[in-house]
Amino acid sequence: MADLISLKKIKRHYDVGGEVVRALDGVDLTINQNEYISIMGPSGSGKSTLMNMIGCLDSPSEGIYEFEGELVHQMDDNQLASIRNRKIGFVFQTFNLLPKATALRNVEVPLIYANISRIKRIEKAKESLIAVGLEERMHHKPNELSGGQRQRVAIARALVNDPSILLADEPTGNLDSKSGVEIMKILDSLHEAGNTIILVTHEEYIADHADRTIHLFDGKIKEDIKTNKRKNNSS
Amino acid sequence: MIGLFWENFRISLGSIFANKTRSILTALGIVIGVLSVTLMGTLISGLDKTFEKSMAGFRSDVLLISRMEWFSGDVDWWEMRNRPRIREEYGETLLARSQFVEAVAPVSERGGSIIKGDRRIDSRFFGTTTDYLATNTSVDVEKGRFFSDGEERSGARVLVIGGDVADGLFPDEDPLDKYVKIGNYKFRVIGVLKKMGKFMGLFSMDNQATMPLGTYKRLYARRGWMTMRVKLNTDQTDLAKEEVRGIIRQLRRLKPTEKDDFGINQSSTLEAQYKAIKLAIGGTGIFITALSLIVGGIGIMNIMFVSVKERTREIGVRKALGATRNMILGQFLMEAVMICFIAGLSGMGMAYGLSIIINKFFPSAMPIGLAIGAIMLSIIIGVVSGLVPSYRAAKLDPIDALRYE
Repeated sequence: MADLISLKKIKRHYDVGGEVVRALDGVDLTINQNEYISIMGPSGSGKSTLMNMIGCLDSPSEGIYEFEGELVHQMDDNQLASIRNRKIGFVFQTFNLLPKATALRNVEVPLIYANISRIKRIEKAKESLIAVGLEERMHHKPNELSGGQRQRVAIARALVNDPSILLADEPTGNLDSKSGVEIMKILDSLHEAGNTIILVTHEEYIADHADRTIHLFDGKIKEDIKTNKRKNNSS
Repeated sequence: MIGLFWENFRISLGSIFANKTRSILTALGIVIGVLSVTLMGTLISGLDKTFEKSMAGFRSDVLLISRMEWFSGDVDWWEMRNRPRIREEYGETLLARSQFVEAVAPVSERGGSIIKGDRRIDSRFFGTTTDYLATNTSVDVEKGRFFSDGEERSGARVLVIGGDVADGLFPDEDPLDKYVKIGNYKFRVIGVLKKMGKFMGLFSMDNQATMPLGTYKRLYARRGWMTMRVKLNTDQTDLAKEEVRGIIRQLRRLKPTEKDDFGINQSSTLEAQYKAIKLAIGGTGIFITALSLIVGGIGIMNIMFVSVKERTREIGVRKALGATRNMILGQFLMEAVMICFIAGLSGMGMAYGLSIIINKFFPSAMPIGLAIGAIMLSIIIGVVSGLVPSYRAAKLDPIDALRYE
């Protein structure tokens, strides 16, 4: 398996009122294709910062970040936007859909920024919505959808650009348990179809879906364990 | 990139219609601004057109010699009034001695009522010679004829009336060969002049009547107030004016040390005066109305700041999904420009409607250049007032924006 992501000695320091906060303090991490990883840790451990770093929303203060051979830590704003657009799919805890747009329009957004023609865009967005089982609800606005359905729209949006990696930040955090199970099923099947998925969570049972769990503490990786619990259980 | 332009267009329309009340209130500032600017421009251009039209009778190659100067600050009115009168005989001398004079017509005029049956029009009438037509090319006899030399010499009681007089006295009959009364004298109408339009009631032949000078002198004043219309055959009016001035000084036996006791008036003096007035009225008018546009622009800027603040999270999401700074900038700039563009269009539409109504009382027509200019101006205001808020949106940090509650 080829290296998809490689982080070397990544540090991220913030200056908060004259005090330096070391959100990430020397993280080394390699992620391969088709891995299913969960990142865990108490709040303040640097989970979100690591997530933002991997998602190219943030740049490291120090260290080397390579994404499929491209040096992310050297990129400017526009290049970061482009790599987010082409290679990363985000799923947020609070869905973050555009409230005034239909499900279909929401899924189209990344394709708009990729400058894809309207006809092709709608075609791809529909495919993506069908893949998460929402073909009946494409023309509904977020406030006409249930929480689980909204998160499925968000997943469809994350997948529509065929990203190299899917980043899910507490994807079930705002959902009831039934919808949560539904969403995790979709993520599991996406992994089986060959996608690379990174989950940020603090729920043990959600993290258990992954094959590899990374524990963060005080901006450092405390533990990096391969777990094959789920697969063992199912076989 | 064109795809993105249309997307931004759609997004901006969506957001404008999603907040209808707010958009309308914000746009109102620009609507009022554009409305007042275009209306002001329309009125000024209407003023210009009528001025030009009425000035056709006072062409720059026509000199008007009288005791009065039109715009003289340094000579008092009563002094001018006591000057020796202008004599009819000057005409012949001018024609004989000046190489620049093509035609001369003496004009005496006074006010009075023209009566036909129980209809009556307060008007001005003047006596002149047949040469008048040569000195005023804008006069056109529509019906009938001008009077002849014979009628002039014999003092025949014939009258050529202006178009408005004809309409007023003869609303539904042909005025030719009908009789009207001025004071106790009866006149036969022999001609009707084509309408010229008027400049705020001034300088129009439409509401005047013309009679032979011989008749005028016989009935009203042998030694009355008189003006000489002098038509020049050259464009060098300054040169010609000097020559005419010299001849008249000789005729009036003025010593070299004495000042002119007459005025040589020209439409250009009137025009210069008019232009100064127009500049003053138009300039302040446009300036004041432009202020309202600036106020409108500030309103747009304010609402764009609110809109950016409100949609901080949306901006974060869009950035996470791959929007660059320029794309976000374009989105909000487009929104500001669209509000202003729509506002500009409606303001101009209202101004157009109003100008049609105003045209019934005062000549006005919206020039196309002004209409296009007003739309361009509102687009520029959109860009200028949208730039700072859009820039603020574009440079938002995606992480902060996503966390924004």
